[in-house]
Amino acid sequence: MAATNDSQTIEEATTGMESAPDQKTRRYDRQLRLWAKSGQAALESTHILVLSSSSTSTSVLKNLVLPGIGQFTILDRTITSPSDAGNNFFLEGQDSVGKPRAEEAVRLLLELNDGVKGHSIVNKDVKEVLGTEDGVEWLKGTFSLVIAHNLEKGALDQLSDVLWKDAKSPPLVVIRSAGFLAEVFIQFHEHAVIDSHLDTTPSLRIDKPFPALLKHSLEIDFENMDVTDHGHVPYVYILVRVLEEWKQAHGGNPPKTSDEKKEFKAIISKMRKKADEENFEEAEAQAFKCWSSTVVPYDIKSLFGAENVAPHTKPFHLLLKALEVYTTTVEPYTLPLSATLPDMKASTGQYVEIQRLYKDRAVEERDTFKAILDKIIAEQGEDASLIDDEVIDDFVKNSHILRLLKGKKWGALDQDKEKLAEAAASEESSKQLGIHLALSALSSLQAKRQEAEFAPTLEELTAEAKAILPEGVELPDEHFDNAIGEAARSPTADLPNTAAFLGGVVAQETIKMITKQYVPIDGYCTIDLVETWSGVL
Amino acid sequence: MSTAQGRGTHAKAILGPELYAKLENTHVLLVGAGGIGCELLKNIVLTGFGRITLLDLDTIDLSNLNRQFLFRKKDVKQSKALVAAQTASAFNPNVKITPIHDNIKEPQYDIPWFQQFDLVLNALDNLDARRHVNRMCMAGNVPLVESGTAGYLGQVQPLLKDRTECFDCIPKPTPKTFPVCTIRSTPSQPIHCIVWSKSYLMGQLFGEDEDADAGGELDAAEKEGENAQEIDALRKEATAFKAVRDALRSPTNQDAAHLVFQKVFNADIKNLLSMSDMWKSRSPPIPLDFEGIMNGSFVLRQGANADASTSKLPEAALKDQRTLTLKDNVSLFIESTNRLADRLRNGEDTISFDKDDDDTLDFVTAASNLRSSAYGIETKTRWEVKEMAGNIIPAIATTNAIVSGLIVLQALQLLRKSYDKLRNVHLQFKPAVPLSTISLSLPNPQCGVCRDTYTVLRCDPARATLGEVVKGLLGEDEREVSVYEGQRVLSDPDWDDNNERTLESLSVTRGKFLAIVDEDGELTTLSVGIALLPDDHPADAPPFILPSPLPQPARRVKPPPPAPETPHKANGNGKRLLPVELDDGVIDMAPTPKKPKRNGLAPASVPNGPVSVGTKRKATGREGEEDKSSPSKKRRLEEEGLVVMDGVDDKLEEEPDFILIDD
Repeated sequence: MAATNDSQTIEEATTGMESAPDQKTRRYDRQLRLWAKSGQAALESTHILVLSSSSTSTSVLKNLVLPGIGQFTILDRTITSPSDAGNNFFLEGQDSVGKPRAEEAVRLLLELNDGVKGHSIVNKDVKEVLGTEDGVEWLKGTFSLVIAHNLEKGALDQLSDVLWKDAKSPPLVVIRSAGFLAEVFIQFHEHAVIDSHLDTTPSLRIDKPFPALLKHSLEIDFENMDVTDHGHVPYVYILVRVLEEWKQAHGGNPPKTSDEKKEFKAIISKMRKKADEENFEEAEAQAFKCWSSTVVPYDIKSLFGAENVAPHTKPFHLLLKALEVYTTTVEPYTLPLSATLPDMKASTGQYVEIQRLYKDRAVEERDTFKAILDKIIAEQGEDASLIDDEVIDDFVKNSHILRLLKGKKWGALDQDKEKLAEAAASEESSKQLGIHLALSALSSLQAKRQEAEFAPTLEELTAEAKAILPEGVELPDEHFDNAIGEAARSPTADLPNTAAFLGGVVAQETIKMITKQYVPIDGYCTIDLVETWSGVL
Repeated sequence: MSTAQGRGTHAKAILGPELYAKLENTHVLLVGAGGIGCELLKNIVLTGFGRITLLDLDTIDLSNLNRQFLFRKKDVKQSKALVAAQTASAFNPNVKITPIHDNIKEPQYDIPWFQQFDLVLNALDNLDARRHVNRMCMAGNVPLVESGTAGYLGQVQPLLKDRTECFDCIPKPTPKTFPVCTIRSTPSQPIHCIVWSKSYLMGQLFGEDEDADAGGELDAAEKEGENAQEIDALRKEATAFKAVRDALRSPTNQDAAHLVFQKVFNADIKNLLSMSDMWKSRSPPIPLDFEGIMNGSFVLRQGANADASTSKLPEAALKDQRTLTLKDNVSLFIESTNRLADRLRNGEDTISFDKDDDDTLDFVTAASNLRSSAYGIETKTRWEVKEMAGNIIPAIATTNAIVSGLIVLQALQLLRKSYDKLRNVHLQFKPAVPLSTISLSLPNPQCGVCRDTYTVLRCDPARATLGEVVKGLLGEDEREVSVYEGQRVLSDPDWDDNNERTLESLSVTRGKFLAIVDEDGELTTLSVGIALLPDDHPADAPPFILPSPLPQPARRVKPPPPAPETPHKANGNGKRLLPVELDDGVIDMAPTPKKPKRNGLAPASVPNGPVSVGTKRKATGREGEEDKSSPSKKRRLEEEGLVVMDGVDDKLEEEPDFILIDD
């Protein structure tokens, strides 16, 4: 449906007088302002597999169907029970009871958005799928992400093994919940984020001005300038100018000691023609930019040389390699210049002018970067069209906020005796560990019992949790007691509000993974809704 | 197990049988059926609340559908409350949902009306209504859970009179405003031109016929010492609007849009240019030449045309994100002006800006870009103009889902009276700490809303007089008081002219509050909510029922010597965000008048602060002519947040117009 609205030609799109957006843009207006067209396109080309059609699962799906995910499949052979019907908004009460739950849920979820495709598979479970080679290939080849809610331990372990073994596999989002407790974990090998939306501003490079900026700053005739114009010279020019003159008088060095810094600011202050010139105030306030040297930020430098373990992040690693070469061989050995300028006191004309200076230079540096990248791509024998220009622009623009996450396998923590002992001992993480252990105990006990009415006692659960911890490590007392109490009280309850909350959290993280924008939660996100608390382990 | 039994299994297991049984008889008021409201309605239906009243004044828009999941495409333009109630009722027949398609600020929603609810949940999208509900809940002592979202951020705050701070205990940021002359003659940023188009130009062309308005604004600006010559020119400009207004409404004039263009982008600019003084230290605007632009001969200024023709985005970009050329803007201006004129000719009285009304958005886009071009300011795409003019903030289903889950949890704690478990929760943009939880603060002792002592007076305002009501409420107490309604003084110890008058004649009617302020400042203010007499009230009985026992205002806590910048510091390490974030893609920032009647550009002089009034001034009766304030005094008072009423027939305008833009 959406496609036909978008199908006009470039000619129509650029010459038509009508500037109104199509229906699809209107529908998604509020979210496009968060993740833009690129994020939306990523979402629309995604196919997600959800294992279970529980209240939590349908809550997650609701929040993915509404913003317009491409397709989803629910794999679940459960038949709707009366308590499902009272609990799950995406079932039709009594009418759904006795029918395959996944089928009912898919039908109702699809009512939310006719741009989304949904499928249900109700004649097998995930273990059967994993039991055949074709099944495994189908799973790895069809889906961009797999979500599993309260999946039985045996199946979950097997699934995470299979997906972890092959770096090409889709990420696996694991959700476990019981009553007011929950835990969310994303298993992936590598996740690269170009547009992290982190609010760090790029350097203006005042301490290392590019030639046009330096030239312009030195040419300003502050003395003979009209008073009004004087009050509208952007502070960047003022700083570049004062710094350059300072350096000439101080053997090429910027102010170093605190006395020198004071003196430097005094020079700026003395340049004022009127006491209330805001641009000079800004210059003083930003003077630190003259002595804090622009270098490649640590967070970015530490990415250089990172090993590429997943095929889908190959382009990112090539870009990273180019960035490393760029920052080590191209003067002034910084990240490529950003064309984005902060607001500053300036007349319209002056602001447009400084914007143009930065933009022209940013384009030049981008081209230099691109030449380096092309060379690297050629050297590595990759296809020149591997990375399109839009991605390169995006990468350069965001080169100060890039992120590369290295993931872990689901359950690796429970095998890591050292890590467990450390977490149990730390004030910072004992609550997270308490919740994680309570949920782990619950699922491992449930797997052993295989009972229809699962009602474990506190003692049984505590014993199960102890068995996970290495010898000699004590359970984190108070936190664990609270968590295990909740687990024993409601071992299987899928409370609507917990489901609603998890539906929001998991869909949000899923969208971050798919759009590759924003930084997803890294680790076990543990949640206690009695206390309205969350923490990451 | 039947569905009816099965339905509650999970909730019962969690809540315990006692609280669960209570839910069925709990009556909840849910204010707002938008982004948070839809999610919340689902959650409270599933949790097992038995009686729900759902109120919303809005209708469904296409841009709601990416998150307001109780609505479908076929429901667009229908009442949100009605459709949401219908969709959710189908799910659980045991729940009684009463939808109301109305504004919560209507007088019939008075204190007794609020008191029928065990709990109020706010899912509102504007500051004004949120503050109103807060006040009613404080007055009626009804527990309230307040919430808001913006993009990935969200907030939930449980509020209970005397136990927690209220929504108004922390001052909210005031909307950003611009000086009149910046908007009217010397813009320097795109936003100035956008505000000019949507608040000034739209009002002049398509608003009410109220020339005086623009005049009043200019009088005020002149007195504030703005350039007199400039003001004079703007006055001339305003009077000349009459001709184009008429043309736009004339069924025979085919050339109206062109006339508007000539006036606004050519003649008015030339008029401003004639004041050479103004342009000595700024670069002057350039009058736009219609024919020249259309035939391509017009050169605006070096660089500006080039900017507009080199599209910043690749061609594949969304249609309304493409940069319009000067010529595009002229065509769009003419075309949208014609569309709006057609609507006037077809019976619409006035048209004001609405970001979801394409005609007005096109008009504001084109007009602000043309003005920007004339002044050498960067132009904006339709997409950007929509965001800036409509004060749009991003909104998604996920954040609303998280916040709604949290609201119910806080609501359950309130019902359980587990006050130690109440939390102020912020959903934040930090992967390592998604939720930041703060224990609740106590009320701000200086709060002008929740520190008042509230009571309800059931009365017949047409018969009850001010004097007898006040005397009755004070009882034996002989202390000296002043009486206010909103920002009007009705009486004080030395002035009792109004005491014989009925409440109705003083416009003190149902839903309003009488504030009885202690003259010595020793006791807290007594706020008296006006409600109607019960139906069975005998006709010969007194026309009001005093509350029993009479309310006893508490001793006032004296303000601390030098006021700190914010009255409250956050507990713990959590940073205190002010809840300006609103659900539904709207934020209250730059207000737009619904009517062009009021000063459209600088509402700063009309704060909608609480009633605590420092300066006195009298609402005089017809006979009290000599007391009429002088214009300068009037202005000074208005600056202090007071509205001068010249007589009883004066109607207070609606609350300062915070625009309710979306959904």
